[in-house]
Amino acid sequence: MRLSLRLAFAILCCMLVHVCAANVEAQYLSPQVIEKKVTIHSAAILPAKVEITKESAKGTEMMVAESADISAKVIEAVGQTLQQKKISVVPNSFEPTAMDETRKYKLADIQTRYDALLPKLVKKSKDVKKARFTLGDEVMLLNVHKDADVLVFIRGQGRVFTKGKTAFSLINIFSFDFPFTQITVGVVDARTGDVLVFTKPLSASKVLKDQKALNKMIEKSLKKLPAAT
Amino acid sequence: MDFKRVCQVFLLTSSLLVSSLPVSARVVSAAARPASTFEEAAEEKFVFGQVDQDLLSQIKLLDERFEKEGVVYHEPGLDAYLNRVGTAVLADQKLENVEWKFRALRDPVPNAFALPNGSIYVNTGLLALLDDENQLAAVLAHEVTHVSHRHTYLQNRSVRKKILTVNILNTIANWNPLVGSAGLAVSLIANISPLLLALSMIGYSKDQEKEADLEGLKAATAAGFAPEGMPNSFKAMQRDIEGEQLNSFYSDHPKLQDRINYTTSSIAPGAKKLSDDDAKTAKADYLALMETVDRHNVELAINEARFRSAVYVSQKLVNLHPDSSENVFYLAESYRTLGPRNAELTAQQLTSDAKKKATKTRSKRTLEELDAELLATPEGQAAWKINSEKAETLFLRALELNRFNAPAHRGLGMLYERLNRKEDAASEYAKYLELAPNAIDTERIRRRISVLRGSR
Repeated sequence: MRLSLRLAFAILCCMLVHVCAANVEAQYLSPQVIEKKVTIHSAAILPAKVEITKESAKGTEMMVAESADISAKVIEAVGQTLQQKKISVVPNSFEPTAMDETRKYKLADIQTRYDALLPKLVKKSKDVKKARFTLGDEVMLLNVHKDADVLVFIRGQGRVFTKGKTAFSLINIFSFDFPFTQITVGVVDARTGDVLVFTKPLSASKVLKDQKALNKMIEKSLKKLPAAT
Repeated sequence: MDFKRVCQVFLLTSSLLVSSLPVSARVVSAAARPASTFEEAAEEKFVFGQVDQDLLSQIKLLDERFEKEGVVYHEPGLDAYLNRVGTAVLADQKLENVEWKFRALRDPVPNAFALPNGSIYVNTGLLALLDDENQLAAVLAHEVTHVSHRHTYLQNRSVRKKILTVNILNTIANWNPLVGSAGLAVSLIANISPLLLALSMIGYSKDQEKEADLEGLKAATAAGFAPEGMPNSFKAMQRDIEGEQLNSFYSDHPKLQDRINYTTSSIAPGAKKLSDDDAKTAKADYLALMETVDRHNVELAINEARFRSAVYVSQKLVNLHPDSSENVFYLAESYRTLGPRNAELTAQQLTSDAKKKATKTRSKRTLEELDAELLATPEGQAAWKINSEKAETLFLRALELNRFNAPAHRGLGMLYERLNRKEDAASEYAKYLELAPNAIDTERIRRRISVLRGSR
């Protein structure tokens, strides 16, 4: 009886976490976007960095190839969402094979600048509304397509549990150790480097396997972004 | 109830058997392990298990990713040089699943690391901090030891066992009826096991680091490099230019002073020693070889807000070639970006408390906010006055040495813009565009001119 009660409670908790997690989508727009001082017609999506790890009862393992796959899928999902908002996505000019060393280095440097800002963006996301964050006009060194109004930075992390780890997490329900995926999307002015939009949707790990669910998650997370007119 | 007890006893026993969990003072015993054990371990043939193969395949992909993402620095002269020094300390070691590669990583943080597939990376920040080839050989020999002694695989296996044990213990504790002394003991172990796990990992890793230091010292000496390169490389790393060396709870390397002490005492009394003249020549030769990568590192340091490191390295460049317009430009650029900071940290700023406070502030404020806060203080204003004057003098000197040095005009433009000398700034930017019409940042500079001249 006691065991079945515990199991029922564990399942209930899992369902609750799943439902809540799937709906946690925070979106922050800078005043320039809200007041329509900046209108986004075209965007360049930079190579995404979504890292997923496999967690087993014995610890964490890297999933380098899978991370690259999911990064590509997130780029696709973000691109689709932007296009639904009539924001055109400029052709990808960041294929590693198509770039010379100088361009590769510049891209890496800008990505590093964003990565350095990211912890602050995640922690104080609300400050995007105060136009607090910028990458500086160094972003222009990327020389993206002339028409691009914004650069889109995508980061994320996800955890995939093995069966053993799932069992442990269910048994130790109060350790609140669950698989999840968190993606962050930062939309940055391609000329000034100002952070215009930031969103950090959180979901259960199923989005890693289900492109439709991933698309839906990204779509919801960019819901507040005004469409280009 | 009886069945439950049997299960608990079984799980507890098996968990303790699966791993020699650090429930006891194993951490201490590991550190005190005699040197002969290392040698025995090194001689044993490493047998690759599935878990090692899995790790290796992930590492290979990661290695490829470094290349794709532009974090590996490629310059033919440097690549050849690293390969030459690395191959010398290798002494023809051939190992299963290892392909030796020595490369520079575009990172201004002084560090080096080895991947178990034989890829050894030295950060540009460390290359810039070292003084001579002997120190570089010591760093590479240290990393080679990590690979040849299969430290990553051993660490991975050890951590996996320990984590499994902690998970099992947690499970027992969660489902334990919490009665009797056995129940209490299990709960206690489960609660403190993550802490013990962390402690055990530190101890194990420190053990490997010491092994890499001592074996690396032997290898570098055998290859003909001066043995004092090893302690001297640690001395170079002791320069806390950015005030970031914190004695944190988790630190995977033994303290630098300890490393200097034990490597110095391990140098044989009759070992090759550099004379003062030889040392000077070795330093000059090394700096000349590193000139290009050092300039690149200054750019990286500025990009990552490591302004004091940028000043330190570019000053080294100017000391090497005082009449190089390019080197003078890099020093000017470093002073310009240093802004309201002092070029060297004061003794007060280097205290542990001050460093912790600075780290906390950096994590909360953006660069622009930090600059504004500093500029609001008399010290910040004084520092900015000194730095801006130095920068202007140096930019002008760079132009005196080479009037076609376009980046020096751009730097002057940025300096004048910050000093609110709009017309001067626009004029310098215009000169830059004239000299470098196809530069990567022409659009950026054109836009700046437009803003300065009020056309947008």
